[in-house]
Amino acid sequence: MVKRLIIFRRVSQIVFLILFIYILWSTTYPLNGMLPADTFFKLNPLIMVVTSISERIVLPGIIFSILMIIFTIAFGRFFCGWVCPLGTSIDIAGSIRKNNASRKDIVNKNIAMPKFFVLGVVMLFSITGFQFAWILDPMVIMARFVSLSLIPTVTLGLDKFFVIIIKNFQLYGAVYDFYKTLKTSILGVNIYYFSNSGIIFLFFLFIVISALFLKRFWCRSICPLGALYALIAKAAVLRRVVYKCVECKKCKSNCRMGAIKDDLGYDKGECVLCMDCVYDCPQHKTVFTWRDPRIIDAGIKDRKEGMTRKNFLLLIAASSLYAMGFAKKSEGIYDPGIIRPPASLKEPHFLDRCVRCGNCMKVCITNGLQPVLLESGFSGIWTPQLVPEIGYCEYNCTLCGNVCPTGAIQRLSLYEKKRVRLGVAQVDRSTCLPWAQNKECIVCEEHCPISDKAIKLKEEVVGGKTILRPYVETALCVGCGICQNKCPVRPKRAVRVYPEYADRY
Amino acid sequence: MDMKKFNFFDETIFKKPVSRRKFIKLVVSGLSTLMLSNYFYKAVFGEGSRFNGRKKSNIKGNYDLVLASGKDPYQMTVKAIDAMGGMSRFVKKGSTVVVKPNIGWDRAPEYAADTNPFVVAALVDMCFQAGAKKVNIFDVPCNAKERCYENSGIKKAAEEKGASVYYVDDWNMVEARFDYESPMEKWPIFRDAIECDTFINVPILKHHSLTGLTLSMKNLMGVCGGNRGQIHNDIGRKLVDLTDFINPDLTVIDAYRFLSKHGPSGGNLEDVINIEKLIVATDPTLADVYACALAGSDPLKVPNIAEASSRSFGNSDITKANIFKINV
Repeated sequence: MVKRLIIFRRVSQIVFLILFIYILWSTTYPLNGMLPADTFFKLNPLIMVVTSISERIVLPGIIFSILMIIFTIAFGRFFCGWVCPLGTSIDIAGSIRKNNASRKDIVNKNIAMPKFFVLGVVMLFSITGFQFAWILDPMVIMARFVSLSLIPTVTLGLDKFFVIIIKNFQLYGAVYDFYKTLKTSILGVNIYYFSNSGIIFLFFLFIVISALFLKRFWCRSICPLGALYALIAKAAVLRRVVYKCVECKKCKSNCRMGAIKDDLGYDKGECVLCMDCVYDCPQHKTVFTWRDPRIIDAGIKDRKEGMTRKNFLLLIAASSLYAMGFAKKSEGIYDPGIIRPPASLKEPHFLDRCVRCGNCMKVCITNGLQPVLLESGFSGIWTPQLVPEIGYCEYNCTLCGNVCPTGAIQRLSLYEKKRVRLGVAQVDRSTCLPWAQNKECIVCEEHCPISDKAIKLKEEVVGGKTILRPYVETALCVGCGICQNKCPVRPKRAVRVYPEYADRY
Repeated sequence: MDMKKFNFFDETIFKKPVSRRKFIKLVVSGLSTLMLSNYFYKAVFGEGSRFNGRKKSNIKGNYDLVLASGKDPYQMTVKAIDAMGGMSRFVKKGSTVVVKPNIGWDRAPEYAADTNPFVVAALVDMCFQAGAKKVNIFDVPCNAKERCYENSGIKKAAEEKGASVYYVDDWNMVEARFDYESPMEKWPIFRDAIECDTFINVPILKHHSLTGLTLSMKNLMGVCGGNRGQIHNDIGRKLVDLTDFINPDLTVIDAYRFLSKHGPSGGNLEDVINIEKLIVATDPTLADVYACALAGSDPLKVPNIAEASSRSFGNSDITKANIFKINV
């Protein structure tokens, strides 16, 4: 028979996965994709609610996530089964190994519990003023992986493939033309590099590989967004009904979420509507319906599983301890000494608001925005940092502020952004060529985008020869870092930007 | 993996003798892997081939230099080239032409940091009218390349006329080789800049803090790869060597707008002076000297012109040149 509902689900999953990757792929200059770069993050109630609570504001995007909550009340946890791109990746990985859902012993153990713990911790942290949704939110993990690891790897691989062919077989004619059109149309003009993208990939890989051990293990057990949807879905209108069940327990052993228990009771909060049980049922008696089960008299046993009092107290004690520890620690690390993107919030608020989605790093035209690992403490993992050696802040560009889903980087007009200071440049006179070696070099001065030149040249006569020596006019410098980027001195540039006097909002 | 078959704690596995066949297989496969990877590594990251530079075509125009002045940069370019003897004198039928404008900065045309797009459009039009097969336009910008190509207006203007505007790939470079001792020896130069039949250099006249003015020789830095900041040390000699290497057939200096201060990037409209002139010459040195006179500065203070005149590279004396002036 045609498993129509399963085909629908798979099509929906693939469409949303492709859409997700497309949106991130088009998050690049000139930013003319069909959908805004933060579409999927605005649809994510966990990020939106947690960030709003911890920052004590109402993010404008929260309206979209409320829409998702309304849909969840109508349909149940459809997001996890039909939309979530990480869930789709997990499903694909899980389908590699057959028959791993039938770990009968696991079904009855309460492995669904940890995700409520995670959600609880995230929520409690947000009440005390820390946003920790970034660490385990599926949308963010997937976005980080796609933006900072998958797309750079694929573009690099394709580019190198063409380079090998063109260089080897001397195909500087039609193939080179094709390569050029490919690069300007789909592939992207630049190949981007991101530091510690390997760790980001491993983070994603562990989550996806866990599906080999148990199908949808991540979604069942850890995912905090899944937990949030599970809590809402307990009140869902759409429900699973079995007419005159013969108790063959086939649906139970095949259920990837373990939503069907040993007594054939069904946990609405765990069901992701994958529709497998509809077709597993040998009598075709399983349906999903909006009608009241009391009217159709299906003899259904709803299970109610929740948190015990002991667990709840444990959760509060543990997370408030952690929160206190972080509160104490973060007071001292307001200035980690790294250059943040233009017009980002003050450091504690920035750490709080940033969900580490990687949009700003993906969109940065010069590749200068890089994920930090531990340079700004544990609470700053994968926040953006400007690394002028890799790329500078383009003077006429406002892209990073335009793609930030939570406003950690403020959205400014071009006029305002040009006046935002990221730091101040300093010339190191012990290595600078005109200062230390009396050689001619004005590279920093000629690249300075300020029309009045924040780097000025001092004429000095040394041994009968006039030398132009650069110095920084601190009042004019915005710290864009182009001087550091273009400085020909290696390995350590002679003019460097330091994040002092940075304008933080 | 079957753990029963492969047990690390079982000592006998290391004592098992390797058969000759297996040993040869191992060695051959290992060596071939090494060789292949080495081959691919060289193909991708290896050194480029070395070139001796473009051949001198030595096509002369009707005059040594033509100066056009007027209000319409497109017509000025057309009239000036026609006075020179027409584009068909420089561009043969079915040939590949490189037009190298200055697309160095992310600035709109009014800021006079990049070549006027109308001048580029006129040149592309004339090249195709003369029967060129292909007109290539590229530069290595200082700002983000997509932004420069877009905001300078050159990409749009040239693509409308049918030219192919593309970015310089840093893997597609050749190493420069000179017959004489040169600081530019082994410098990476973009392959397409050398493998063309006609090279037209289209700089814009503007201020520069080191050379005083950015002119046609300085504009040729836009086909170089590598650590370009290093060129600024001993810049005069390096630029003359580079010009000798590239051998531009035609130099068109756009002096319609002149960035008089805070060059080469500019950014302030108050620094821009409309002098509404255009210089066409076959000799890059003569073009540069004349442009200096136009901007009212001493040519010998520009290091590359001083170097060129001391080496008698080209004609650096305006009084000896045959100059034609037209008003459009």
